[in-house]
Amino acid sequence: MSHRPFDSVPSDDPLFNRILSTLDIAVFERDEPSGGFRLQGLAPEWWCARVGPEASTVLDLEQWSPFLRDYVAADHSVWASESGPVEKSGPWTESDGQGGTMTLEATVLSMESRTVLLIERLGAGFEQMRSIVQRARERMLAEDVTVKSHRKTETRLINQLEVSERTKDDALALLQHLGLAALVLDERGCITFASDRARQLLGASTGEVIGREWGEVIPFHQQDRTIFRETINAPSDSRTAGPFYIDSAQPTWVEVDIHRDPRHPGRQIVVVNDRTELHTLRRALSEQASFHDLVGKSPAMLRVYQLVRDVASVDTTVLIEGETGTGKELIARAIHSTSGRRERPFIAANCAGLTDSILTSQLFGHKRGAFTGAVNDQQGLFEAAEGGTLFLDEIGDVPQPVQTALLRVLQEKEITRLGESRPRKVDVRVLAATHHNLSEDVVRGSFRADLLYRIRIARIRLPTLRERREDIPLLAHSFLMTICAATGKTIDRLSPETLHRLMSYVWPGNVRELRSAIEFAVISCKGTEVSPDDLPPEIVGTPAVPTLAPWIPLQGGDEKSRLLAALSDAKGNRTEAAKRLGVSRATFYRRLVELDIPPR
Amino acid sequence: MIQKKICMLGGFAVGKTSLVRRFVTNVFSDQYHTTIGVTVEKKTVAIKDHEVMLMLWDLYGEDEFQKVRDSYLRGSSAYIVVMDGTRRGTLDTALALQQTAARTLGSVPFVSIINKADLQTEWEIDEGAIEQLRARGWTVLFGSAKLGQGVEELFRNITTQIMHGSPLPTERL
Ligand SMILES: Nc1nc2c(ncn2[C@@H]2O[C@H](COP(=O)(O)OP(=O)(O)O)[C@@H](O)[C@H]2O)c(=O)[nH]1
Ligand SMILES: [Mg+2]
Repeated sequence: MSHRPFDSVPSDDPLFNRILSTLDIAVFERDEPSGGFRLQGLAPEWWCARVGPEASTVLDLEQWSPFLRDYVAADHSVWASESGPVEKSGPWTESDGQGGTMTLEATVLSMESRTVLLIERLGAGFEQMRSIVQRARERMLAEDVTVKSHRKTETRLINQLEVSERTKDDALALLQHLGLAALVLDERGCITFASDRARQLLGASTGEVIGREWGEVIPFHQQDRTIFRETINAPSDSRTAGPFYIDSAQPTWVEVDIHRDPRHPGRQIVVVNDRTELHTLRRALSEQASFHDLVGKSPAMLRVYQLVRDVASVDTTVLIEGETGTGKELIARAIHSTSGRRERPFIAANCAGLTDSILTSQLFGHKRGAFTGAVNDQQGLFEAAEGGTLFLDEIGDVPQPVQTALLRVLQEKEITRLGESRPRKVDVRVLAATHHNLSEDVVRGSFRADLLYRIRIARIRLPTLRERREDIPLLAHSFLMTICAATGKTIDRLSPETLHRLMSYVWPGNVRELRSAIEFAVISCKGTEVSPDDLPPEIVGTPAVPTLAPWIPLQGGDEKSRLLAALSDAKGNRTEAAKRLGVSRATFYRRLVELDIPPR
Repeated sequence: MIQKKICMLGGFAVGKTSLVRRFVTNVFSDQYHTTIGVTVEKKTVAIKDHEVMLMLWDLYGEDEFQKVRDSYLRGSSAYIVVMDGTRRGTLDTALALQQTAARTLGSVPFVSIINKADLQTEWEIDEGAIEQLRARGWTVLFGSAKLGQGVEELFRNITTQIMHGSPLPTERL
């Protein structure tokens, strides 16, 4: 290349100088002998502002940033070879001499033996580039902050989860410790939690409960299932339902409290309460009420109830046998009110201790003037009970002539009033009761055999209270409740010791005596619980030996009939009879002899 | 007076400019003004009767937009590697830059500083990472340009290392 551009550029060319100055470029040429750089042509404004108008045109590197000195001092390959690449300094910052800064960039060019240094002040183009880079970096920083805050939130959530897991564990431990039976159901009715006690109550073992729908797990009966579902779906926050029967290995009655989880309204907390005991008691009480006024669920009494139902449907005479106080009249009433005659009258007559004529007049009525004091015509109890039931208590005490009259009524279904001769038709069902052994009375000749057979078409023997001790708690509670209700006292239970005493006493007066004892206790009782001290002295005095009740001597005929009843109950086995009465065999034999009861 | 060139190396926005400005003019700005060109600041420090003129080359931060030119490093007596404690990534950049510097300059002294100690609760560079740096032979300091903490110590530490090494400059070549 023969053309040399530097030669053709006159340093004092006014146009050329103006162009460079307008482009903010200062041009220096190396002064070979000194090695210093001398300004060529017009100086740009920034140079003047920085070095001052009077300054020399020689570049004093010490006044500028070491960055420029290093650049100029560097071993620029272009200085040696003409064809090498141009290496610019890159931008650097300088004070602008007016309190601010400016960005400069330098270029060294070496041609032939001449070296030129160009220094350019970077302007708008550079600023634009800078602001783009700045924005990009700011965006990266902002993104970094976002990512970090996300990560922080995540960590916080994980921590919170950990804390709540721990809280849950604590609550769980507490729940298990309290033996609380609790379930948690989710929105779909699936079990998400079940405490040990709940699993046990529901008859479900571990593992097969969680995640399953309650309907699959809880062995409710169909109608309970429906009620439970309705209760769950009910809108209120707390609901109670039950009792429900759970058909598991250990049949259980439960009640449930259902609470809406306050933090997750879709979730339900179900607390299951074992109500088996309560339910049994309730059921026993309701069964008692359902069977008229009879209380008891012992096998002996259940047999009695069945007999009552059986005889009620047929219109026969029934003989009700049982010790005094066993509730013979209640049985008679039960038969009446279960029978087709229930809409008609029930009349009870006690035949004990009445004279021949009084009893006859009472039963059959009389004509005016039939006897002294018979001032009016009077209908008897048979006529009064027309269409209904006449209950003759203590039939064994009926005098012989009345027995004959009774037999005729039962056979002919008609009565004749005292003093009249014309018989009257009656439609009355007769129920008779006795505490005697009528068979023995027949043997002894005090009771007509034909009458016995007539009234004993059906027979119900009531067990003594001793024979159904298991009914004592139920009876005692039932009496306690009725008596309290009547007297306005608030006694809600019998102490275990009291119950124990009641169960071990021999109860010669049977249920009637028990009722009196409870009446006595309610009057004596000062608190809310009946203690043994509140019971009548004869009961408290009894040593509490449940298996062998002590011998309480009864008076005269009463004791005799009890001995006979025991013998007949034991089918003549005296050892068994003595056991039933709670006396020793020796005592039993002695009493048999003393009371003149012949060995059979 | 002896002059010593010290380069500030590190990723962008770690606080190189802030550290230099805090040291030289004792000012700090929360505003981020990215450095694109090179700014050289001077400050004279006295170490045991000796005065040294430190020429602090505040290089732009290394990232995808700009790579540090090796030529800027030449002639440095030492360098400072700056990291931002709140950004884990600045540690990786620091490692890369230190390798470049070691390749260009040989074994000149250097110290590293984890800046933004005032935000320590948000740090991502943990004890384990710091231990690893120290295991590589790094001097790791902590500081905050914002609070002025550890700044004097940083420059004093590097100057002391330079001065101890300066009687035998040939050894480093
Ligand atoms: N909180 C806090 N911010 C800082 C600190 N040092 C620098 N910064 C901020 O970090 C950003 C980048 O700082 P700068 O010095 O420009 O970083 P450089 O790119 O490494 O020079 C700016 O917004 C500064 O205000 C510090 O110690 N603490
Ligand atoms: Mg900077």
